[in-house]
Amino acid sequence: MKYYTYYPGCAMETTGKPIKSSIDAVTKVLDMELRELPDWTCCGCPGESINELAAVSMATRNLALAEKTGLDIAVPCSCCYRNLLNAHVTYTEDPRIREQVKQALAVVNLEYHGTVRIRNLVDIFVNDIGLDVIASKVQTKLSGLKVASYYGCHETRPYGPDDFEFPVWQDQIVEKLGAEAVFYPLKAQCCGGAQLFSQIDMIHKLIYKIIDNVEGHGAQCISTTLCPLCFSNLDANQGLIKSRSGARFHMPIIALTQLMGVAFGLKPKELGLNKNISPALDVLKPYLKVRV
Amino acid sequence: MPATIKGAKTFVDEVAAEPGGEKINECIQCGVCSGSCTTVEWWEYPPRKIIAMIRAGKRDEVLSSSSAFNCVTCYLCTVRCPRGIKPAQLIHAVESIAEREGYRPKTPTLKLFKCLRDAMRQGRVWELGLAMKFYLSTNIFSALGNLPVAFSLISRGLMPIFPPKKVKGRREVAAIIDKVQAMQKTGELQ
Repeated sequence: MKYYTYYPGCAMETTGKPIKSSIDAVTKVLDMELRELPDWTCCGCPGESINELAAVSMATRNLALAEKTGLDIAVPCSCCYRNLLNAHVTYTEDPRIREQVKQALAVVNLEYHGTVRIRNLVDIFVNDIGLDVIASKVQTKLSGLKVASYYGCHETRPYGPDDFEFPVWQDQIVEKLGAEAVFYPLKAQCCGGAQLFSQIDMIHKLIYKIIDNVEGHGAQCISTTLCPLCFSNLDANQGLIKSRSGARFHMPIIALTQLMGVAFGLKPKELGLNKNISPALDVLKPYLKVRV
Repeated sequence: MPATIKGAKTFVDEVAAEPGGEKINECIQCGVCSGSCTTVEWWEYPPRKIIAMIRAGKRDEVLSSSSAFNCVTCYLCTVRCPRGIKPAQLIHAVESIAEREGYRPKTPTLKLFKCLRDAMRQGRVWELGLAMKFYLSTNIFSALGNLPVAFSLISRGLMPIFPPKKVKGRREVAAIIDKVQAMQKTGELQ
């Protein structure tokens, strides 16, 4: 059994619900225990653009709480992951910011000593649990399913640890599940989640580029990163966008842990698959043990 | 000069004093940032040009332009920059100065950021409340295009129509933000 402090992030409670339930189900199979950080608050990522110091201070509050647990902190949401890691790096490397953040945290009697390891959940799957263990838990091989892995930005940029522009870890997991990993160049392109409400035209164009690219390379579905913003942006918005053929997109969008859960023989409801807006169950039907 | 940049003489010094702007003088104007930018077609002045304009002291043009607010923070520029400047953070530094100094570039994104800032004070972000506040404060009709999305999310229980249970830590978060803003206002930071 491996133990981690778990930081789900705000969106995991709402639009990320399908991902959250699948993470809970899949981590059980993989003998991991995710202990939710008590009294966690927003990581501060949404405010970074107009006040970096406030964002770093908010993230450091969570890190100071996590430090007390003595465990690595596991973060599925890419934006939270990057912002928490950014706060840690800035805090430990920039003495000027460190002093300012210390002053801000002193107001609430907290102090951060810079000892937390911030880990993306995909990183944990590949490097702590191991691809072979994942393969050993597979009950239904996803043979014949052509899967395009979508990484988004912050899972690997700017801190890695997978490659910045051509990451491979999700593809490696997908292959261990017995599916065929489809290569396509835009796998780490931005979906525009940051401008979700404000610039709809921009979002639609960015989503078009990604899904068009996936279709062009012959994939049947997209297996996304565990970031609820990327997942929900692709899942909910694609129905408004016309594809090359003139019809609207209906690309199945499946979170990585949902796909893993199907291969592990878990029930669709446990994995939140009944809540996906895109026709996720259509491509997964042949691999499900239960009839839907 | 505003109080927050005590000792700064020129616009480039001002940006260099802001978190993220430190390395602006190391830019060699290669244009990799502009070439990599995911959303560059929406920018009035691409990132490379903004850096050049800052160094040329064009303060009003840069801060009143909506360009920087089109950044989706994808960090392609940052991982590719041959000088390690972190252009995305530099652009955020420009946004921060513009917001703080009361510049009002014509873009809904500035409003979005302000709504987000208010939402964060609650400890956790409630998306539907955030969306409603944003659309009411900008253009309520622009919400119409998003109605089908909102409907499918709400009907699946993915977008709660009531705010989440208040978390204990929200008072701490608000206190931290207040302290940061007070430090920034009094110029304690230099």
